[in-house]
Amino acid sequence: MALSRAWRHRWLLRSLLQRELRNRYVGTVGGLVWVLVHPMLMLAIFAAVFQYVFQVRLPSASPEQPYVLWVALALWPWLAFGESLSRGTVAVQQHGDLVKKVAFPQELLVYSAVLASMVVHATGYATVLVLLRLWGYEVHFAGVFLVGLWAWLVLGCAATGVALFLAALQVFVRDVEQLLGQVLAVVFYASPILYPLALVPAALEDAMVFNPLVHVLEPLRQAGLGRQWPGATVLVAAAAGAGALWVLGLAWFRRLSPHFEDQL
Amino acid sequence: MSSPFAPLFSLQEVCKDYPLAEKGGQQLQQVWSLLRGHSPRHVFRALSDVSFSIHRGESLGLVGVNGAGKSTLLKLMAGVVTPTHGTIERNARVGALLELGAGFHQEYSGRDNVFLACALMGLSRRETLERLDGILAFADIGEHIDQPIKHYSSGMIVRLGFAVATSVTPEVLITDEVLAVGDESFQKKCMTWMESFLAGGGTLLLCSHSMYHIQKMCRQALWLHEGRVRMQGSAADVIRSYLAWHEERDRATKAKSSAELAAQQAGGIYQVKSMFLNGRDSAEPILLPPRGTLTVSGRLHSPDGRTPQVAVGIVRADGTPVYGIVSEMDGHALTAGADGLFRYAITFPELPLLPGRYVARSHAMDPEGLRLFDHVERPFEMGGTSREFGYLQLRHEWHDDPEVPSPP
Repeated sequence: MALSRAWRHRWLLRSLLQRELRNRYVGTVGGLVWVLVHPMLMLAIFAAVFQYVFQVRLPSASPEQPYVLWVALALWPWLAFGESLSRGTVAVQQHGDLVKKVAFPQELLVYSAVLASMVVHATGYATVLVLLRLWGYEVHFAGVFLVGLWAWLVLGCAATGVALFLAALQVFVRDVEQLLGQVLAVVFYASPILYPLALVPAALEDAMVFNPLVHVLEPLRQAGLGRQWPGATVLVAAAAGAGALWVLGLAWFRRLSPHFEDQL
Repeated sequence: MSSPFAPLFSLQEVCKDYPLAEKGGQQLQQVWSLLRGHSPRHVFRALSDVSFSIHRGESLGLVGVNGAGKSTLLKLMAGVVTPTHGTIERNARVGALLELGAGFHQEYSGRDNVFLACALMGLSRRETLERLDGILAFADIGEHIDQPIKHYSSGMIVRLGFAVATSVTPEVLITDEVLAVGDESFQKKCMTWMESFLAGGGTLLLCSHSMYHIQKMCRQALWLHEGRVRMQGSAADVIRSYLAWHEERDRATKAKSSAELAAQQAGGIYQVKSMFLNGRDSAEPILLPPRGTLTVSGRLHSPDGRTPQVAVGIVRADGTPVYGIVSEMDGHALTAGADGLFRYAITFPELPLLPGRYVARSHAMDPEGLRLFDHVERPFEMGGTSREFGYLQLRHEWHDDPEVPSPP
């Protein structure tokens, strides 16, 4: 049900996605090259700052599994998730002129914003992991590919659901965008992305269980390092949760979308 | 698509409310009430109780003053806006051209914009490619098609928009006063397209301030006034009433302003108390034979007893001045009667006007002849038939052998 409307308008979704991707680089000389340059630069910064300056060592890590690889495995999925939310939230408001003049399924605006963020950062993810492998680090590609597919899908669905919710709210209450930036910063540091779960004090560790991102990013990291495959319960529960978020977000969005034109 | 006899559009008691801007924390409250299906508390009703239906081939023209709700109605029918109350049934493929270049992105080339615009109308990439040549040919933008449309003129954008909107071969085409932007040849092109569209069984929903376009394209018309249907029927009838209403309104505002002027001048003003054409005081035009004689006469009121001047003029029915003169120009002084009013009469013997409707006017002026005060007019008609042009019959003679003086 949730997908049938999008499927019927798949050409529109494709056009919007293309536009969304090109919008980021339109008018730039480098064009889509920036999609690759940006993650490489970011990787270099992480390597320089954490590996050589801070000389971060993970408590349980063996020497051939350095901090950079360890961070990269979870950082790019997070970047995709965060950017999906921030871009998805303003998607309807930004395309106000379209919403006011043309009849089309408006949720596609959110989908394309989320998809574009996912595509850009998935490309970055692949680039970074391949570079790290070439550098000589042991990336467990089978784990990254299989569990990564699951993790990115789960994050994508969840981001879509939340973005649908926020995008509709943003039309009425313009504070959502401002608030989201702050919330994302908090969530970033409240999730085990830059630090391992093992470093979290016991008192907080119990609270960490309630951060859903933990249950997606940790299994992905473990699989990518070739340590451990995730259990079926986690796979199914996360997928179900993400799917539920999408359905709920879409219901909320559809409920409010008839009133968008009044507000934009 | 349902049976061929079902209306393409059917609106039942459609209302559209726009919420008025809420302040601060009330926005959240508003979302909450919308989620529960309640309507906002402070609203502006843009449309109320609009009901009508459109059948295949019955093109509808929308008329009404600015702010009457025409655009809202078109948006409702195009599906961009959902009605607050009432229902809209739509049984047709609709192409809408609500605003010039809606959905176009300034940074992208005309070609890129065509692709997205077509996708927005539900065309697939393949379908768009099939239509691309036709669209480009119609829009006639030439090599600029690969330039960003921020460099386009508004005419080029409207041509592209129209080409895209018509490419889906809609059953109903909704346009909102966009044709006015194109140049003469493009307008002609659109008209030709619309005529063939109509001839092919298409239905048009046209909102325009050009009564000519409406009368030419639409059999039916709907007059919206303050969000309500004021009149609905054949295009000719509706347009006639609409224009009559406009004239009425203009006259009312004029009357109001001259009444205000009178109030300003506490001592009263120089006034035309009465006016006669050939001795008759009638709002109906009097008929004059060709080369007939016209006498304009009447009485003027002077607030201070000084002798006013009178200006008498003849204009055509459309207001084009033909002739005008002030009594002072001929050195004529008006005389006062026993009632204190000043009498004037001026005779135009053998009036050389061509057949048609004219209006005689009298204006009261101050004794100095500086200010024009009152204004009264009476229509008259010059009878007869003539194939001459213009409005004056000039004295003339034809010669067999004109004696043209040779240049020195």
